Amino acid sequence: MHNTADFYHVLRIDQTSNSLREEIKEHCHTDIEMCLECGKCSGGCSNAHIFDITPRKIIQLIKIGEEAKLLKMDALWSCVACQLCVDRCPSSINIPKIMDYMREKAYKQCVPATRPNVELFHELMLGSIKQYGRVAEALMTVQFNIKSKQYTKDAEMGIKMFFKGKLNPLPSRIKNVQQVRRMFRNIPAQREG
Amino acid sequence: MNNRKKTALIIGGGVAGMEAAIKIGNAGYQVLIVEKEPQLGGALNKLYSSFPRWENPQDLVDDKVKKIEKCSAIKTMLNTVVTSAERKEKTFIVNLDSASVSEQVEVDAVVLATGFEMFDASVYGEYGYGAFENVYNSLEFEDQLKAMAGKDKSELPQVVAFFKCVGSRDRSKGFPYCSKICCMYTAKQAGVMKDLNPDAKCFVFYMDYRATGKEYEEFVRSVIEEKHVRYVRGRPAKVLPENGKLMIRAEDTLMGVPVEVAADMIVLASAIVPNAKTGELAEMFAAKTDQYGFIEYDSKNPVQAGERVFFAGACGFAVESLGAQHQGAAAAADVVALFNQD
Ligand SMILES: Cc1cc2nc3c(=O)[nH]c(=O)nc-3n(C[C@H](O)[C@H](O)[C@H](O)COP(=O)(O)OP(=O)(O)OC[C@H]3O[C@@H](n4cnc5c(N)ncnc54)[C@H](O)[C@@H]3O)c2cc1C
Ligand code: SF4
Ligand code: SF4
Ligand code: SF4
Repeated sequence: MHNTADFYHVLRIDQTSNSLREEIKEHCHTDIEMCLECGKCSGGCSNAHIFDITPRKIIQLIKIGEEAKLLKMDALWSCVACQLCVDRCPSSINIPKIMDYMREKAYKQCVPATRPNVELFHELMLGSIKQYGRVAEALMTVQFNIKSKQYTKDAEMGIKMFFKGKLNPLPSRIKNVQQVRRMFRNIPAQREG
Repeated sequence: MNNRKKTALIIGGGVAGMEAAIKIGNAGYQVLIVEKEPQLGGALNKLYSSFPRWENPQDLVDDKVKKIEKCSAIKTMLNTVVTSAERKEKTFIVNLDSASVSEQVEVDAVVLATGFEMFDASVYGEYGYGAFENVYNSLEFEDQLKAMAGKDKSELPQVVAFFKCVGSRDRSKGFPYCSKICCMYTAKQAGVMKDLNPDAKCFVFYMDYRATGKEYEEFVRSVIEEKHVRYVRGRPAKVLPENGKLMIRAEDTLMGVPVEVAADMIVLASAIVPNAKTGELAEMFAAKTDQYGFIEYDSKNPVQAGERVFFAGACGFAVESLGAQHQGAAAAADVVALFNQD
């Protein structure tokens, strides 16, 4: 999926930056120098078949400081945070945590996600939590489908789920929603641009 | 039978030969060490630091030399070589030659401990060894480290690249075998370089790292994770001088991308090959050698190379100083057992 012409330029590895590696060490508590390059993460990743850059290579890219490539990659949005890789990694490299960190970084820097409506989903979900202290699934699904112009998507299933008692169409607020809102105030959403 | 005390001749006074001498001497038999150089210690004398414990190799040499000096049964002849030998039943009549004298001795067993040499890396025109400045083989680099130790950081190289498997694992210009110790000493050298100049960037180009001894894997990992030496998987393809630097081209095979490093210094982990004289000596004492010229072992007696002929250390195959001592002690045990049975 990536541009091969872009990929095959000669890389001057004596001029690469360590800052991303250090950032990740600080924020994700993961030292990627501990990676043994074994590929167990990629081999067992539940979504590697649709990753443009597989987990082991992601670690390699961090090593050479290829931040721009990492922020643009599709794998950021197809990692399902299943934790299989970190659970199996002989060096406990926390790839889902790194994915989270990089996703956030991409969002803040307004690097567009490779998948449609990812940002919309992100915003609606956080908005829902801010308002109700939890995700109001039905409401959020409706909002999402309207804003993403997929008006009838999920409608049939939603009705079935409602009749089976699996879906509450009305949002319910948690008891102490103030506490959740305080959390949001402490970490204000930042977005450049 | 004459009244002469049983004597073992040790050829080569490196760590393997010294260990054999100490064990045989302390067991009560006579020992004669013949060493071609003006001092005992062999290659360890040239090393700056040693894996896997960051020790000063000189301490190990000094310890052995002290034990040798303390043992009255051991005689050491420096600057001396064996010129010929003749087997006479259970003894050997051996002619020795030094700058001052030629001497004939009679001995009852022989331990070959002639050590190793470095493969001549100049066969790789693409690396520029012998042609470009600042391309060293790893043994020469130990000397460089000694010279760098006292200097200010600003005088030290800022980018140093280490190439592993130079002449090893190469069926075209070198040898098919793996030289066994270079992965470890390369990690050590890159680590020392970072200690001397923490601002330096060190790159180790590798195909694998083989760290198969006690504390070895931990040693290499500490060099990567704590000293921040960067390991790049791939065998460098070429080196070209460029603006006063050495431009290295390789492929990072883990990413499948071509990479370059502009280095101030390049260190080649040249293959360990047997000492040139080993073959001659082996023939003199009817010891077997393998296709590369290393002394060949007997599967059922790993330090025996022939009738009353034993060997220890790197003349048998690449080995680190710990293994060389194990082998020296094992050869000594064989000599002592033989003398006890005579
Ligand atoms: C670059 C480098 C770094 C290393 N770093 C380490 C390290 O950090 N830690 C470690 O454990 N090991 C290290 N080693 C390995 C270590 O040097 C060897 O294990 C050790 O030297 C082997 O000892 P030896 O006695 O078998 O051989 P040698 O040390 O080679 O000694 C052989 C002796 O025999 C003498 N000799 C040779 N031919 C004759 C002859 N014909 N007549 C008389 N005398 C003769 C030689 O002069 C020499 O003194 C390193 C090796 C290299 C190349
Ligand atoms: S499983 Fe862990 S050690 Fe192995 S390649 Fe993946 S991150 Fe690196
Ligand atoms: S957490 Fe992400 S990267 Fe890790 S195995 Fe799951 S999908 Fe793959
Ligand atoms: S010990 Fe390491 S560097 Fe030396 S030949 Fe073997 S793999 Fe190559």
